[in-house]
Amino acid sequence: MLIKWLSITSAIFLAIFIIQESLVNQLTLPAGGFSIFIILTLLWAALSTPEVGAATGFGAGILLDLSPSTSGPIGHWTLILLLMGYAISFFSYGDENMRGNPLTLVLMVTVGNFITLIAYVGTGFLFGLSTVSFSQTLVTILGSSIWTLVVSPLMLPAVVWLHDLAFDARMRI
Amino acid sequence: MRNGGENRGRLLLVILIVSSLLFVTLDLRGVSVISGIRSATHTALSPFQRGGNIIVTPIKNFINDVTHLGRTRNQIENLKVQNQKLRERLILRKNQDGEISQLKSILDLAGTARFKIVSAKVISQGSSLAFTRTITIDAGSGNGIKKNMTVISASGLVGVVKEVFSNSAIVMLSTDPAFKVGVRIAGTQQIGILVGTGSNLANLQLLDNQTTIKVGDILLARGSIYGRPFVAGVPVGRVISVSNAAGAVTQSATVQYFTNFGALGVVSVVVKAPSADPRDSLVPAKPVPTPIPTVTIFVTPSPSPTATRN
Repeated sequence: MLIKWLSITSAIFLAIFIIQESLVNQLTLPAGGFSIFIILTLLWAALSTPEVGAATGFGAGILLDLSPSTSGPIGHWTLILLLMGYAISFFSYGDENMRGNPLTLVLMVTVGNFITLIAYVGTGFLFGLSTVSFSQTLVTILGSSIWTLVVSPLMLPAVVWLHDLAFDARMRI
Repeated sequence: MRNGGENRGRLLLVILIVSSLLFVTLDLRGVSVISGIRSATHTALSPFQRGGNIIVTPIKNFINDVTHLGRTRNQIENLKVQNQKLRERLILRKNQDGEISQLKSILDLAGTARFKIVSAKVISQGSSLAFTRTITIDAGSGNGIKKNMTVISASGLVGVVKEVFSNSAIVMLSTDPAFKVGVRIAGTQQIGILVGTGSNLANLQLLDNQTTIKVGDILLARGSIYGRPFVAGVPVGRVISVSNAAGAVTQSATVQYFTNFGALGVVSVVVKAPSADPRDSLVPAKPVPTPIPTVTIFVTPSPSPTATRN
């Protein structure tokens, strides 16, 4: 059961990671664009238990750290996504009002994405990474959150379906 | 039982946090295994990025064409339906022509300075969400590219090779906030340091407060020992505004880069700098102002006066 879950989850995340790196990143969308990989991670965590959310964030973070476009040290995204994965699943797990409502899930993922990027920039500052100006950072974070608000409802049905496939349990969304 | 589950969850969380902090520590301490894994990932992703570039480029070009055509959009849409196949061929051809044109201009620049270069196609742009400015090119160590080599375009400096893989390399653009280059002003030879700001503009800090700088001055790279990371004489940008703050220790100015970073298709990596400094030979020619035609209207008075009503 664990092997099945691991293999299905890894395949899904790897496929989305490749799509993100080879296609989405090259679109050069205005205001920073969006990351379908981060959206997938946060949605997946929101549908899972806190332990699975943390493990998912950890795995996704490692993949994102290995991305050629990442400038920070390996472990930077891992730490951020691990904590965000845990936090988002901690707040949603066991609360059917949250998990059963697509709108709440979308809002949660949007806020999660916003906090993730702020945390990434903040910890990056602590690690001594240089970033663009404050205003550009703000535009990128806000723009990315708006993109996430638009894109995550489109991804939600597919992610729920894939999550059900991986866990062999139907969710009522 | 529930307590046991919660404890296991917390233990897992702690283990994962410690693991991620361990990764960060190992990477910051420069453990080669960690950087080797990233290098292997990059090599594995390169074919996908190339494939993605082939798919995305025509779409980007098409969207760019349509958005720039503005008012005639509807008409273009109709023509698009009628001539879809021809348009696809045309876009591909335009893309190739643009790349050839860029390559030719780079070769002209490199030829004048006697740079030995390796030309490469831009296969990917770094994600904006990484808060850095980078591009990935399709040439790597197999083509003689090494870390800290200067990258140029037809217009001038593009950046510096940051990471090299077997068949690709990551270039830090000169717009990156972490980018710094020593420059001199063409003609007067005053020197300063140029720092990227994340946009097409950069900040110049002159080293000597006795010197003067004016709008329109052209900046060239000062060059480094053995031409790495910067070869001397590469055009960098033009001064567009000068800050004369009272009490400032040194003069500063805002500089616009010559390179259009939004349209980088082909770039060249300088693999060998000439033994002699090209001095000011690469200074771009001043733009020739387009004469504004004057319209002269000749009016010939009619022989018979026109009747006026009282």
